[in-house]
Amino acid sequence: MSRDWRNQFPSRRNMFLVGGGVVFLGLTARLAELQLFRQAEFETKAREIRIRLEPAPPHRGTIYDRTGRVLAGSKRNFYVTIRPELAGDRTQIIDVIDRLSRLIPLAESKKRSVIQEATTGPRFRDILVADDLTWEEFAQVNVMSPELSGVSAEVGELRSYPLQAAFYHTIGYVQKANEADIARMSEIELKAANESLESPAGKARAAALRRLYRHPAMRVGKSGIEAFGEVELKGEPGKIRMLQNAGGRVIDRLPSDDLAGDPGADVVLSIDAELQNYAISRFGAEAGSAVVIDVATGEVVCMMSTPAPDPNAFVSGIGSSLFKSLQTDERNPLYHKAYDGVYPPGSTFKIVVAAAALESGAMKPEDTVPCPGKAWYYNRFYNCWRPEGHGTVNLHTGIQKSCDCYFYRAAERTGIEAIADVAKRFGLGHRYELGLTGGKSGSVPNDAWKRKVIGEQWYAGDTISAGIGQGYVTATPFQLAVMCARIAGGDKTPDPHVIVSGMKVPDNSITPMGQFKPGVLEAVRAGMFGVTSEPGGTALRFGALDEKNELPAPYTGARMAGKSGSAQVRVISAAERDSRGRAIANDKLPWKLRDHALFVAFAPTDKPRYAVAVVVEHGGSGSSVAAPFARDILAHALKYDTGARKPFAPQQREVAGSEVKPT
Amino acid sequence: MIRKDSLLYKLTQLHWFLLLTIIALAMFGTLVLFSAGSSAHDLATGLLHIDASYAIAHATRFLLMLGVAIVVALLPLRLWAAVAYPAYIAGVAMLVMVDFGGVVVNGAERWLQVLPGFRLQPSEFMKLAVPLALARYYHQSFSAGRNSLWIHMVAFLMVAVPVALVLRQPDLGTALMILGTGCAVIFFAGISLRVVGGILLLIALMVPVVYFFALHDYQRQRIETMFDPEADPLGAGYQLQQGLIAVGSGGVAGKGFMEGAQKQLDYIPEQHTDFIFTIVAEEFGFVGAGVMLVAWGVALIQGMQIAGNSRSTFGGLAAAGFVSTLLLYVVINIGMVIGLLPVVGIPLPLISYGGTVIVTVMIGFGLLMAVHLNRANDMTLRGLF
Repeated sequence: MSRDWRNQFPSRRNMFLVGGGVVFLGLTARLAELQLFRQAEFETKAREIRIRLEPAPPHRGTIYDRTGRVLAGSKRNFYVTIRPELAGDRTQIIDVIDRLSRLIPLAESKKRSVIQEATTGPRFRDILVADDLTWEEFAQVNVMSPELSGVSAEVGELRSYPLQAAFYHTIGYVQKANEADIARMSEIELKAANESLESPAGKARAAALRRLYRHPAMRVGKSGIEAFGEVELKGEPGKIRMLQNAGGRVIDRLPSDDLAGDPGADVVLSIDAELQNYAISRFGAEAGSAVVIDVATGEVVCMMSTPAPDPNAFVSGIGSSLFKSLQTDERNPLYHKAYDGVYPPGSTFKIVVAAAALESGAMKPEDTVPCPGKAWYYNRFYNCWRPEGHGTVNLHTGIQKSCDCYFYRAAERTGIEAIADVAKRFGLGHRYELGLTGGKSGSVPNDAWKRKVIGEQWYAGDTISAGIGQGYVTATPFQLAVMCARIAGGDKTPDPHVIVSGMKVPDNSITPMGQFKPGVLEAVRAGMFGVTSEPGGTALRFGALDEKNELPAPYTGARMAGKSGSAQVRVISAAERDSRGRAIANDKLPWKLRDHALFVAFAPTDKPRYAVAVVVEHGGSGSSVAAPFARDILAHALKYDTGARKPFAPQQREVAGSEVKPT
Repeated sequence: MIRKDSLLYKLTQLHWFLLLTIIALAMFGTLVLFSAGSSAHDLATGLLHIDASYAIAHATRFLLMLGVAIVVALLPLRLWAAVAYPAYIAGVAMLVMVDFGGVVVNGAERWLQVLPGFRLQPSEFMKLAVPLALARYYHQSFSAGRNSLWIHMVAFLMVAVPVALVLRQPDLGTALMILGTGCAVIFFAGISLRVVGGILLLIALMVPVVYFFALHDYQRQRIETMFDPEADPLGAGYQLQQGLIAVGSGGVAGKGFMEGAQKQLDYIPEQHTDFIFTIVAEEFGFVGAGVMLVAWGVALIQGMQIAGNSRSTFGGLAAAGFVSTLLLYVVINIGMVIGLLPVVGIPLPLISYGGTVIVTVMIGFGLLMAVHLNRANDMTLRGLF
């Protein structure tokens, strides 16, 4: 029996215990370092790591009509997103989307595009799967979300257009931003902030903007005012504190009022939704447009184009079959006919020629022209619309009866340069910046214009055609309304505008009409009065706006003064004329080949307040189809006299971060 | 008058102070595990949320194993000497079998399917079998009057074989613990301090070689992570970083029972097992963690007293070996959680949730108490297999 180990044991044990004691002291020292000296540091880290700051889409500015009616607002939106990094690999993502599609309606094509985006894009980003869900669908996804990894059900705001199709063309619509939208917006914002994309500040701004527009609840204006006013409407994004666990799963939203952004600007339009709706319903199944301008203020109180699609269908992404049918519809519902549609003004242009002839002194009001039904200029006959002829015609009866022969002669004497000059003074040939996308300038031809655009010199015969608004002359319905407003209101007429407040729409390019020689505008207005109110006028049946004397005080018994026009959409060949030289009646032609019916008018005749331009596509005769529309629209405008009341002024909101406005 | 060999007398002679220390630690562990599942202010509802399933399972296992430990303590110490060699040989055989197959893998843990429905973790088993076998070996060597350097070399070989097998699994933590326990027994058996010094010097020289040529990539990474946990906060250093945040944010007095915030966020993987100390430190603070360390210190000192009081070589060395194992458990576990040691899968005995460690440790405490009961018995092991 050895006693060696036993003798040594106490000393070895002490060595062991001292060693152990030193190690314990080491642990204690480290604990003291972490818990006593660095507590604050870890305390901060503990908070930081749990709270992630996410961009919060700002409340988009509301767009109101002049009476305060919401045209584009925000509604509560229940939506579902998926984050690929939490959902897993491709098969898991497909599985999750599959299970999700049993809870919420999800089209096959939408499923495919979500899977495509989730498996190819950045994995740390939330991808929108579906939005505009019902409360029941939202609740179901919410309850099931622990079993749907990576999926979360969220509440946000979505653009809504309560008046649906009525303002599709003016206001436009919003949609998820694509790369081009993000690039465009960062270019605009960088320019506004005067930063270059290369500088660190510029890079940060662009990155923040990209993050914001990538947010599943964020939309960007794609057309109309929504696109033009994107910067103002969007507002300043805030941030929201998200409490997350290690897996990145959001557990809770923490109070973030101090980080709330600024809501976008509320925009007020001069348009009266009530009048707009009335004009649309008055058109019925016809395709076309109507623009009404308040002569006293220059405010556009109606600017409609029909038919139109419902912009709400675009907000969450429009189905391709629906979009295709809209694109191929022969009535062009996607086309803003009032602002983008250029038409030959036809006989409505005669009032320009009349004014030019008087202004230049080429014609005096009492000068007469014989009308045998056709006239000989430069080795060919030019037909008057009335083969029987109008007899002896002066300026007044020329406008009243829309005699082509009179205006052939007037144009020949005045010359194209003087006509073009007056046309421009009336607002033709110029694109107005109204604060919405699109807009055409139309064309006011002269020698220089033709050389530049067509590459040919101006022939004398071109002037003859231009005299009755055919040939190279084109104008948009909006421009025709401006023209009519300027004739009605004279040189004091304010410039036309659609945006009342909320957006900056700089337009320094508007050429003022300038003063005409005394009696010029009066003579033209008298001719237009003759059209609707004197025997022989082409639209005599439709001159009275108030046959029953029901309109309010200053407008009781009002009449309108106007000018009709029919614009050919085809060249009329000899074969198409009957034995008396009359063209085949429009109602015997296929719809697509019928003339456009035009009418411009103002009312009341003594003290003009509203000017209107109506274009009915392939409507046939301006005096019988477009004139009654113009009459009813003007009567409606006078009845409610919306321009006489000040436009709505929205209340200044302090903070609207996540506020949901009832719509 | 109670007879000295009666069961009742033996029960009164149990080392009650050690037993109470163990019970206190296990109760504290139950409390911490209760908190691990619960929360005073649930993040989702803000209300009290209680999930006692960890605590109940832990307490149940502890009570069961407390019974086992007392049974082990009451059985004759000679019996444990008798099973030491067969257990060691069986353990080595199982480690070899694990190497060849019939294995259930769970991370770095290697289990052996002994019978259907009955799995054994041979490496865990060896934590007890190695000190027992060494104690018996020394007991018999010293009884035979042999006391040269050779017997220590044989003893080291007995340690090296299972350590090498466990390293192959690869389970660095358990291998280190078996190695440490074995070396501690050799140390207590009286190996010359000069030899110890020489070996330590040699190890110091070998460390770089081992680090660069013998370790697996993931093991190297763990070591690198320990020195710079923030270099890879979402990868290997993640668990450690989150653990440090929980510990550090606890402060002096802690956030209070069930008030820990980090646990609710699922930030710390294995928080109820290997990283249970993060909850101790976060909720009970520096004071609570210190009290727990003191309790462990008390248990270790008592264990060493038991070892010193044993008249038999087997009892003394087995007890010292087990106390070394305990020290290694506590130091390695807390050391890794607070970023002083690489992260290896070593739980904190009596506190961590999990069945394996409580079985090992409670059988070990049973042996310790058996040594205490038999302290006056200078055993002869002649006639044993």
